[in-house]
Amino acid sequence: MRAAWCVVALLIASPLAAQPGTNGAIDPPLSPRNANYTIRASLDPRTRIITGSATIVWRNITARPTSELQFHLYWNAWRDTQSTFMRELALGGASDQIDANEAGRIDLSSIKLTAPTTADLMAAQRFIAPDDGNAHDRTVLSVPLSTPIEPGGSAAIDIAWTAHVPRTIARTGAIGNFFFIAQWFPKLGVLQDEGWNCHQFHSGTEFFADYGVYDVSLTVPAGWPLGATGVERERRDNGNGTTTHRYYQDDVHDFAWTTSPDYLVRTARFEHPTLPAVEMRLLLQPEHAGQAERHFDATRTTLKYYGEWYGAYPYGHITIVDPAWQSDAGGMEYPTLFTAGTRWLAPARVTTPEGVTVHEAGHQFWYGIVGNNEFENAWMDEGFNTFSTARAMWQVYDPNYLSLRYFGGFVPWVVRDIALTREHDGDRLAGYRRDARSDAQSTASFRYFPTTGGSITYNKTALWLNTLERWLGWPTLQRVMSTYFAAWSFKHPAPDDFFRTASDVSGRDLREFFDQTYRSSNVFDYGVQDLKSGRDGDRYRTTLVVRRYGEAIFPVDVLVTFENGERVTERWDGRDRWKLFVYERPARASSAVVDPNRVLLLDVNPINNSRTLAPRGQQAARKWSATWLVWLQDCLLSWAALA
Amino acid sequence: MSALRDGIRRVNSAPGILIAVWALTVLVSLPLAAVLRGMLETSLGSSLAADTAAGGVNYEWMQQFVEQASGVGVTFRPTIIGFAAVLDNLSAFIDDTTRPVVIVGAAATYVAAWIFLAGGIIDRYARGRPTGTHGFFASCGVFFFRFLRLGLVQWLVYAFLFGSVHVWLFDRLYPQITHEVTVEWTAFLVRLTLYLVFGILVAAAALIFDYAKVRAVVEDRRSMLSAVNSALGFVQRNYAAAVGLFVANFILFAIVVGLYALVAPGAGRSGVSFWVGFAVSQLYILGRLWVKLVFWATETSLFQSRLAHAGWVSRAPVVWPDSPAAEAIIRAN
Repeated sequence: MRAAWCVVALLIASPLAAQPGTNGAIDPPLSPRNANYTIRASLDPRTRIITGSATIVWRNITARPTSELQFHLYWNAWRDTQSTFMRELALGGASDQIDANEAGRIDLSSIKLTAPTTADLMAAQRFIAPDDGNAHDRTVLSVPLSTPIEPGGSAAIDIAWTAHVPRTIARTGAIGNFFFIAQWFPKLGVLQDEGWNCHQFHSGTEFFADYGVYDVSLTVPAGWPLGATGVERERRDNGNGTTTHRYYQDDVHDFAWTTSPDYLVRTARFEHPTLPAVEMRLLLQPEHAGQAERHFDATRTTLKYYGEWYGAYPYGHITIVDPAWQSDAGGMEYPTLFTAGTRWLAPARVTTPEGVTVHEAGHQFWYGIVGNNEFENAWMDEGFNTFSTARAMWQVYDPNYLSLRYFGGFVPWVVRDIALTREHDGDRLAGYRRDARSDAQSTASFRYFPTTGGSITYNKTALWLNTLERWLGWPTLQRVMSTYFAAWSFKHPAPDDFFRTASDVSGRDLREFFDQTYRSSNVFDYGVQDLKSGRDGDRYRTTLVVRRYGEAIFPVDVLVTFENGERVTERWDGRDRWKLFVYERPARASSAVVDPNRVLLLDVNPINNSRTLAPRGQQAARKWSATWLVWLQDCLLSWAALA
Repeated sequence: MSALRDGIRRVNSAPGILIAVWALTVLVSLPLAAVLRGMLETSLGSSLAADTAAGGVNYEWMQQFVEQASGVGVTFRPTIIGFAAVLDNLSAFIDDTTRPVVIVGAAATYVAAWIFLAGGIIDRYARGRPTGTHGFFASCGVFFFRFLRLGLVQWLVYAFLFGSVHVWLFDRLYPQITHEVTVEWTAFLVRLTLYLVFGILVAAAALIFDYAKVRAVVEDRRSMLSAVNSALGFVQRNYAAAVGLFVANFILFAIVVGLYALVAPGAGRSGVSFWVGFAVSQLYILGRLWVKLVFWATETSLFQSRLAHAGWVSRAPVVWPDSPAAEAIIRAN
């Protein structure tokens, strides 16, 4: 009964209660709508320059007054190699070179306060670097105000700028006549009770912004299909070879758009007995014309399963963008629009394009609707979404096979012998194992080491969520996540908000679990150290030593199997470094396994979890070395072609 | 076509050579496979993971193993399974992928062995009749140092092709051409074209070096530079036949690879069925070796036919000297 009431309450509180309009309007509002943008911008594809102006109406929803505004100017990360973004790229070993002709930048031409008073703010603006003090970084702009804006007060700002579209980098920019334009306008940071949260642009993290209304008019060459956040309300032919598209959307925290004369436009619809219908619009590369349905199907999968598990998608429409080849724009999320990514040769039963489509569509829920701070807690959307992606993928696309790519990466080969698994491949254990100790998850995401942060953000979270699923059961974890989703939709949750929800809903004190997974970089590694079984009179004496090799602690089962088929399962709290189990049985032991059900998916060494007294390691090694022998023979023959 | 038929006949009439080069391939590979086997056995230990690895594919273990591996172990990836292995090696060849030092070492040994055997093999095919073990190895010995010198020239040419031309084509020209390309198919066509250009250059070099070997053996040439020069002359004079034959041989190669693509065994087997699959793989290796031998035999046949000296070799068969002890016994009698 209590569960039933929870479901009713969730439904009432959920976005289902709001009615998505067909024009981007949502009534009643789902979010505070305190950062509202009316933007006019035009793109010159020849010079790759965007000229824009905006009216921003912002309301202070915190309890503190502010005497400044802070803006993100993300594209300045690519104006030279001295930005924090480029320095971090170099730290991670990537090229930090920028061709001057392909650099991106954004230059303000004016900024004025128009309400509550009027003032020209241009002279007082200055760049700040709150994260690292890098004087060369120009991605955060501070604009002092002569009169503070009190809690509940509002300000209107007129701002104009010119932006040079970079060669695609970090999922934005242009290549050929493909334009994907994201993080492209002066964007307000988030004022919190602690002050402005407006981080510099970092190479390893994404974004954070307040919800609002976006009313954006974009002028592009006539005849170029355009896709953007929201719904197209108006299209006007300017008679000069350009068309202005006006897009509108309530209750979103960002706005991205794309245009290219090459796009094929396809549409489809998602329908579900209990979830609101969603119109799907796909902008597809011509060479992927045959893959339209795969994109729609994967998006439907997300809308269905995420909708059933967490809550409904409230916008009524979604735009799927298939980015141009080597545009570096694939696999990215924006409100009501996302980029997928596929290949010209994309065999069936391989996770491209389904995997990336499900994942990026999934970000509409974890990022779009639940708006955590991606600079500081990227795991709260990326990790939740990686977990959810794997869960959804394995509902629909199982089996999925490993695909290898050859000849410059163009030619795929499907290894039918290797079916990918949700637990290992979907939750990405191998990547986590490699970087497990690189950072504690509680470190602010933008401070993770650039090249290993992804493993902590995506993989570790997916693994500990799946561990929770296996430990608490899916119904419990589903209740945890849907409760959290409902409570924090269109808000900015912090980690403790999720941890508290998890403990409250599950009815268990999960603090120790989160202390170890979130607040520490310790690893879990349980294993069988020794198994002996020998005759002792008319019975067999079996001794089993299990060991905690890692620092982290988790209760595990220990399964001992005897030759007469008897199975004994022990529960070990996993706290001591080792534990001895002794059995006097009529039969000899055959094997012992720690964590036989693989509850603890974070265990970095599953191979040492078991031991058998009838090992087949020799047989396996013989088989695999023979398989490798053939590869080597063939390899040698390739070289011998030159002899 | 007659050279092709004749060459195939010559290869088929000397199955011992095919068996010997197969044995050589196994011998060079086996020690490394044994090393890998030890590493795999240590990795699996008494774990139950071995059960799934023995009965099928334990991808999780494969990944964990390779993460911690060094030496030959780093090559233990899914790319070794079935036909993926062939694609992996072809792709690595044409893309000039760096291999671990230990693999390069094995390959160098293997190539050295082929350099040693080349004289004996071509001599056998050139004569078109059995030369006996003594005669075979005598020819190997006679030509080994000559082909070693030729090998140096080959190494310089291939080092230039792979070290400079390949880098220019694929690391500079290809990114330059495709810099603004937004259609994968277009980029693939560009890459295919560059593969073709590079492949023709490598094939041209291989063709000339093959005929240099053939001329060195048939005409008993000592100067390898003159052999290369003569080979170049021969190919120029008989361009259509030489290239046509090379293409025909390449088609044979493609047929062998294509057939293996159809029957290549996976790794999801165990027991007898796995070993049947292994035998199929060895048939494929034999097929590849057969094609390599057919290249030499057909080229030898073509060269001899164009000189109207079919089956003629200028150098008399080398008589392998008996050991001093045997000679002493013969003299005593």
